[in-house]
Amino acid sequence: MANLVIDNVKKRYGTTEVLKGINIAIEAGEFLILVGPSGCGKSTLMNSIAGLEDVSEGRILIADNDVTYTSPKDRDIAMVFQSYALYPNMTVAQNISFGLEMRKVPKEEREVEVQRVAELLQISHLLNRKPAQLSGGQRQRVAMGRALARRPQLYLFDEPLSNLDAKLRVEMRTEIKKLHQKLGTTIVYVTHDQIEAMTLADRIAVMKDGEVQQLGTPQEIYDNPANLFVAGFMGSPAMNFIPAKVVSQDGNPMLELATNSTVTLPFPKPEALANHIGQTVLLGLRPEMITEPQPHKVGQDFVTTTDIKVEVTEPMGADTMIITRVNDAEINCRSNPAYPAAPGSVIEMMFDTSKAVVFDQASGQRLDI
Amino acid sequence: MSKASIGRQTTWVEKALRVALYTVLLIMAAVYLMPFLVMLLTSLKDVEEIRTGTLLSLPSTLDLSAWSKAWGEACTGNNCGGISPYFLNSFQIVIPAVLISTLLGAINGYVISLWKFRGSDLFFAALLVGCFIPFQVILLPMARTLGWLGIANTTTGLVFVHVVYGVAFTTLFFRNFYQAIPGELVKAARLDGAGFFTIFYRIILPLSTPIIVVTVIWQFTQIWNDFLFGVAFSGFDTQPVTVALNNLVNTSFGGKEYNVDMAAAIIAALPTLAVYVLAGKYFVRGLTAGAVKG
Ligand SMILES: Nc1ncnc2c1ncn2[C@@H]1O[C@H](COP(=O)(O)OP(=O)(O)OP(=O)(O)O)[C@@H](O)[C@H]1O
Ligand SMILES: [Mg+2]
Repeated sequence: MANLVIDNVKKRYGTTEVLKGINIAIEAGEFLILVGPSGCGKSTLMNSIAGLEDVSEGRILIADNDVTYTSPKDRDIAMVFQSYALYPNMTVAQNISFGLEMRKVPKEEREVEVQRVAELLQISHLLNRKPAQLSGGQRQRVAMGRALARRPQLYLFDEPLSNLDAKLRVEMRTEIKKLHQKLGTTIVYVTHDQIEAMTLADRIAVMKDGEVQQLGTPQEIYDNPANLFVAGFMGSPAMNFIPAKVVSQDGNPMLELATNSTVTLPFPKPEALANHIGQTVLLGLRPEMITEPQPHKVGQDFVTTTDIKVEVTEPMGADTMIITRVNDAEINCRSNPAYPAAPGSVIEMMFDTSKAVVFDQASGQRLDI
Repeated sequence: MSKASIGRQTTWVEKALRVALYTVLLIMAAVYLMPFLVMLLTSLKDVEEIRTGTLLSLPSTLDLSAWSKAWGEACTGNNCGGISPYFLNSFQIVIPAVLISTLLGAINGYVISLWKFRGSDLFFAALLVGCFIPFQVILLPMARTLGWLGIANTTTGLVFVHVVYGVAFTTLFFRNFYQAIPGELVKAARLDGAGFFTIFYRIILPLSTPIIVVTVIWQFTQIWNDFLFGVAFSGFDTQPVTVALNNLVNTSFGGKEYNVDMAAAIIAALPTLAVYVLAGKYFVRGLTAGAVKG
């Protein structure tokens, strides 16, 4: 268990800068999730932490020791690679114990450890097989086992569940969460899966083009995205972005929407809009904040009921997504499947702006923080 | 059940094509086997029979005397001990040369593919040029080098020449093979605490059987069949069998003994033949071996 500090790390391949000054500090025992679009530098950052790539600038500290120029094997890190990288010529048991063998753990201890890990991951019956004789999910568990057999200071998981079926993925996600709670080891974990990110993380770092856009708890990232990119990246379906004109009503800045009629919505931080009266800003509103009228919300602040015209509906089981147009932007609303919403019809919906955010249209920066 | 799951009927066109294909293959095989058959038949006849009979006539008796003469008594130049000592010379050259060049090729390929360094691609390109240098070009510089190293006219010298010349090829083979190995395998092993040679020995080499077989066959045939380097760089008693064979054929007291020549030629060709028969299957498999899965 150790803390990890990534201090202004830059990585260049030739002239292209892949990491443009990454600053992340995580506590011992923390579970950090890295998310970001493909090619934003997540794997490069993981490799840099592990020492498999030299960084061009900056420092990496593990347990308060500067390891920037330490060789990978001396950093005391275990990593699960996206492609598993199992040794094809070795059996599952040999794969798991190889790291221990390299660290001169006596044979008996290694065997005990292999058994322990195999039981944990339910792969005891596979110990004598070669990787080629395993299914994808089994391979993934072996890759996990190889990392878990050791007790490193830091675990790095690079999209370890990306190739699993939905069910196995959920199971493994729970296993990983349990493991983390049990071992309390510091973990850095890359994923493209929103739910994985939200459920596993103590904190999430959202990356884009080699820069950290925001580092915060899942709830912070979800409720208080630093900019348009983070807001649009986290959450599925994505946050609605509605270009809305700021109008003054009784001295209060309000947001004007053209749904089926024209309404003005209140905003929880009116002072943030005070300087933008007459301008158009981007209103960010999560789909679950636009619902069928809910009796218990009636009369609350920041709740506005208005008519919309249904364009398309997408039943998702637990909810039905209703798609409509507001201010010429397509928006998603999350409603109860029982609520009648035939395409083409005009229905009443409730806009809750208590958690709404606003962005500058040009720069994408948050206006209300 | 769908139609596709029932065996598909072959049309007569397909059958005719099949027959044509096999005919062509048989003809090609015959064309390639004919010289060998003639050699074999000739080696079993005596001189008299060769003179009177045709090339393809069968020997009247099974006469192996030409073989024993070629092996132990025939004269190469003014040395009349057959080709057996040279046969052994060839092994003494080929075995170390094959082993060393294969091992060096494996290590080179491992570094170029999996431990890329600044300029490793350039290094590989430069090495590749080595594959295109004709033998003749390096004769003089190599002679100087061998003399300077003090290993001119020795078996060691010939091994050295073959290793130097062969490394370009063996590196190419191994490099292409290792290119398909995911680099994450090495990364994982490094994190597990393994070093450069441990990774090579414990993880990479066990995956390399197909390409080792290919390289060994290639190098064995190249070096065993080499004549030019053998002639140029061997000493009087370190000549490889190819050179001895040439001397044997060119040395004649009285009439030409074609049967002995043929027997000697077959003996000289036997090891490469054996290697192909024993490992040819792996050769083809190795040449087509793809990425390492799992
Ligand atoms: N060896 C290299 N040489 C040049 N560019 C590289 C090299 N390795 C990676 N890159 C570039 O660096 C960028 C970041 O790559 P990286 O693998 O870190 O992305 P990633 O965030 O892990 O993406 P993904 O989610 O698809 O795995 C990419 O644009 C990639 O093209
Ligand atoms: Mg990646």
